[in-house]
Amino acid sequence: MEILLFGVINSVTLSLTALGFTLVYGISRLPNFAHGALYVTSGYIVWLCVNTLGLNYVLGIVVGIVATAIIGALMYRLIILRIRGMQISEIIATYAIGLAIIEGLRWGGLRGSTFTLPSFLAGSFEIGGIAVDYQRLFVLGSGVVVFAALGLFVKYTKTGLALKAIAQDERAAMMLGIDSDRKALVSFALGSGLSAFAAVLILPLGSIVVETGYNVLIYSIAVSIIGGLGSWGGAIVASFIIGFAQILTEVFLSTQYQMVISLLAIIVTLLLKPSGIFGKQKELDDRV
Amino acid sequence: MFLDASGLMVYYENMLALNNVGIKAEDGSVIGVFGSNSAGKSTLMYMLSGILLDIKKKEEMRGGERITLLGKITLDGEEITSLPPHERAARGIVLCPERRRIFGESSVIENLRIGSYLAPRKDRAGDIEYVFRIFPRLKDHIHRQGGFLSGGEQQMLAIGRALMAHPKILLLDEPLLGLSPAYQKIVIDSIREIRAARGITIIIAEQYARPVIPVIDRGYIIENGSAILEGTKEELMGNPDVKSAYFGV
Repeated sequence: MEILLFGVINSVTLSLTALGFTLVYGISRLPNFAHGALYVTSGYIVWLCVNTLGLNYVLGIVVGIVATAIIGALMYRLIILRIRGMQISEIIATYAIGLAIIEGLRWGGLRGSTFTLPSFLAGSFEIGGIAVDYQRLFVLGSGVVVFAALGLFVKYTKTGLALKAIAQDERAAMMLGIDSDRKALVSFALGSGLSAFAAVLILPLGSIVVETGYNVLIYSIAVSIIGGLGSWGGAIVASFIIGFAQILTEVFLSTQYQMVISLLAIIVTLLLKPSGIFGKQKELDDRV
Repeated sequence: MFLDASGLMVYYENMLALNNVGIKAEDGSVIGVFGSNSAGKSTLMYMLSGILLDIKKKEEMRGGERITLLGKITLDGEEITSLPPHERAARGIVLCPERRRIFGESSVIENLRIGSYLAPRKDRAGDIEYVFRIFPRLKDHIHRQGGFLSGGEQQMLAIGRALMAHPKILLLDEPLLGLSPAYQKIVIDSIREIRAARGITIIIAEQYARPVIPVIDRGYIIENGSAILEGTKEELMGNPDVKSAYFGV
């Protein structure tokens, strides 16, 4: 029971953290290796807003999400747009940006465990004798809401449909009047905003440390590879696989093995089904 | 809408794919472009729709093939030579590409919805209704994924999707490719209907002229990148060389 409950919570948390990465890759075939850095940055921005500028917590969260989305958009416009279509360069550039952001934050003083965000809802309650705090429940609920909202967004709005079109065939989308560069920018901003959203939900559970940036990136990559790169359904399934695997290792082995399990899962997936559970390897032509 | 392209030259590296081709499409006319494989039909279509600009940009970005584009394209007197494809689409030039390029993971209805990106939202339901009236078969598979449709159904969907964008000049690149005679007839009939009902200018590129020739006003014959012959339907049909090469008579 405990395993089931925390497994579900952990899985939803994982899929939330990986959502931004999966979304951007799914639409633009762009591996955003700065994803983890954006995640930490947004947490830090919220912390700054609340503790240095003295803003209201809710306002701080809004500022954090919007600011991260803008950082993502600028990153795309100024750097990534110039190297679109060259996957190795995209990886190197985004990773370099991520590294610069994370280490810049560390250098700028984001060290130790003194940076914490308060929970939205204090307290906890019991289900069948297990204590669950409200914040985790809030993460669970928001996760479901965000996935539902995104599903509706890509199905019923013009922008959403255009993003879906670009994800499938960028050139055919252009022929129908869709500006693919602009839409890729939108997807990048949206992905950055989503990673910020995940961060403000999840960070109150612990403290803001720069290493989170690397962990989030590795988990996101693990989720994407296991689920199949760019597949949203696959990402959710993979989140549940890794999420439960982590809880099981925590219960039966030890917490240190959590990261090992994710990396092991990547290796096993690459050995057995390199395209991931729901993955379709596209031809290079289709992707560019 | 009057489309006028002149002096179109396209080089892929040193290979000349289009050599000084000019094409005119008057308002409401149907133009045929005929030629064998690799004659330059698709290059011409990519040139007119602006896709080639995008291909060139991407090739340059990754240091790939050098593509050189020359020539001038005007739409109602306004020069659009350097406009990117989405802006040309916004001005009414919509390409229905070779091999259809259906969004395979989206359903029929979603393909059409994506097609209506440029059109006002209020027209969408009516436009979908119109597409289903021309292609009733699509309505039977309304929720089927595009990738699971047969070739003929995909072609109908591709034309329908292009219509959703409210084209003023519709470019059809090999719409009959791989289609059975029955489907060819449906597509040809739809071209007649679209022209009659909506007054859309249509440019059709095809390998075999025979099924297309009844619906066109004028035609061009392209060989090895050059337009070797131009004329009205009657002129083309009267030419003995054309007859043997493109009508299979």
